[in-house]
Amino acid sequence: MRAMQTGSAVDVPAVQGHEPAPVGPQSVRGVRTLVSEERRFAALLLLPALIVLLLATTAPLVYLAWNSLHHLDLAMPMFSGFAGLDNYVKMSSDPRFWNSLWLTFIYTSVTVVLQVTVGLALALLVLRIPRGQGVLRVAAILPIVLAPVVVGLFWRTLVLAPDVGLVDLVTRSLGLGSYNWLGDPQLALISVIAIHTWQWTPFAFLVLLATLATLPPDVYEAARLDRAGAGQRFRYITLPLIRPAVIVVMIMRMVTALSAFAAIFAATGGGPGSSTEILNLYAYRTSFSEFNIGYGASLAMVLMAITLVISYFMFRLRRAE
Amino acid sequence: MRMPASATARLRSLVLWLVAGLLLAVWAFPVLWGLLTSFKTERDVLAYPPVVVFTPTLDNYREVLFGASSILPNLWSSMVVSTLATILTMLFAIPAAYAMARLRYPAKRASGFYVLATQMLPPVGLIIPFYLVLQKIGGLDSYSGLTTIYLTFSLPFAIWLMVSYFEDIPFEMEEAALLDRAGRFRTLWYVILPQVRGGIAVTTVFVFLNAWNEFLFAVVLGGNNVRPVTVAMFNFISLEQTQWARLAAGAMLAMSPVIIIGLAAQRHIVKGLTVGAVKGGGRR
Repeated sequence: MRAMQTGSAVDVPAVQGHEPAPVGPQSVRGVRTLVSEERRFAALLLLPALIVLLLATTAPLVYLAWNSLHHLDLAMPMFSGFAGLDNYVKMSSDPRFWNSLWLTFIYTSVTVVLQVTVGLALALLVLRIPRGQGVLRVAAILPIVLAPVVVGLFWRTLVLAPDVGLVDLVTRSLGLGSYNWLGDPQLALISVIAIHTWQWTPFAFLVLLATLATLPPDVYEAARLDRAGAGQRFRYITLPLIRPAVIVVMIMRMVTALSAFAAIFAATGGGPGSSTEILNLYAYRTSFSEFNIGYGASLAMVLMAITLVISYFMFRLRRAE
Repeated sequence: MRMPASATARLRSLVLWLVAGLLLAVWAFPVLWGLLTSFKTERDVLAYPPVVVFTPTLDNYREVLFGASSILPNLWSSMVVSTLATILTMLFAIPAAYAMARLRYPAKRASGFYVLATQMLPPVGLIIPFYLVLQKIGGLDSYSGLTTIYLTFSLPFAIWLMVSYFEDIPFEMEEAALLDRAGRFRTLWYVILPQVRGGIAVTTVFVFLNAWNEFLFAVVLGGNNVRPVTVAMFNFISLEQTQWARLAAGAMLAMSPVIIIGLAAQRHIVKGLTVGAVKGGGRR
């Protein structure tokens, strides 16, 4: 009687053919005490962590939901009180909310697609380099370990600043002129997408490189003997084999993109105007710059719902694999 | 006409190396440029065309460490919060991960989903209730408050990473130990844990890195007493708009622990990322 099966959905750890070790007399009672003893031990190990998670994540979420049903403005505490669905009604006719939702969609989809395609392309290329992969891995580690807020600040000052930033140095020397990368609404959106992609593509690259390195070479040998071209080999051998890894990378990158905050906050603060204000930043600004916590909480609830729905579908997709 | 095989091969490897070099430059250059900038005077920073040869100065580092807006207290804050969060996380995560990987108990699958779901939560959804509660009980600007909220992202992550390491141990080991009538606890302590030392090290590194780099929780819940270095970096730019050399020096100091750990443990980090990706754990 197993609690779960091998190869089950999602990532729940699989119990790999583990049967209770024959300890003591093989009576039913012996097995039963063994099972209950195992359960007690499991509870002892598991409960502390679960209680911490319950108190530190689930309870706050309930409180968040509760607050989203309230008028709660720290700047105007006298108007606080139960609001029912007022915040959500307000949201439906709030252009800044719809804008932030749209930006969240753009930001998440573009960064994830870029990371996975660029990461995969680079991994395929680098796989063919016989030596020096170590140096590349080191370079790829660098962006990953940096704090996103520091990355945002670096880009804002040293890379994207008009005239003296690295990018402008290049465009100026090529005679393309100088741009206000973070000051123009459209360029700012492109810039924050570029920053996120720069920081996290190495993740996709490293994971896919490691996955590609584990593929069985004899399959390719056979395909080559069958005169399959490079494109065909990629389409019919590589892609199906690395599909699970690609999907997991996409899920993980999506979750990161949906919770992105610090790099944008440091680079543009959501501006100019609200041109880079993804839902995260809008909820933050509403709550902690404008002190309208009730409305901020309802915005955060929407983000929460989106994240949960997306992860649910992504995991279903993964289970289908 | 086909090119001779060796010439094609040489051309191909040349192209590969060019791409690889470009890649290296794109990822490493901003960091190296920051390092370079941290040794410049502010005047050299704004020079056009940029000066590559300049007289290096340590003034920026001196100022950032011992000047009026020294980041030493912030480095200390980061160290305390990250260390506390890492220790607590590992203490809770290791036993839980072992149970999830190895033991049979009711609602096992549900507990797995639960931990996974908590890992997906967007931080901005957690910071609002934490702020309200900590404000009520006077827990803002405290190590305990910040450490607690750090557990929200590090604990689910650490559990999932550790589960994948526990799953790699052969069952025979604990079965043999149990047959010898070693207690379950002693089996875990003396037989299992030594087997996952590597996994514990990798997980510890990840948890520490993520805690050190955290910003949103720190900027909302921190204050004058507890201000991690990420927040100090951010304040730096609003206070001293154009002092980029100083900012670069501060950033280099602030990021030196994670860069050093990252480079020293790079092989393990790649493995940790991959394990996470194959088994599905891990947020960052």
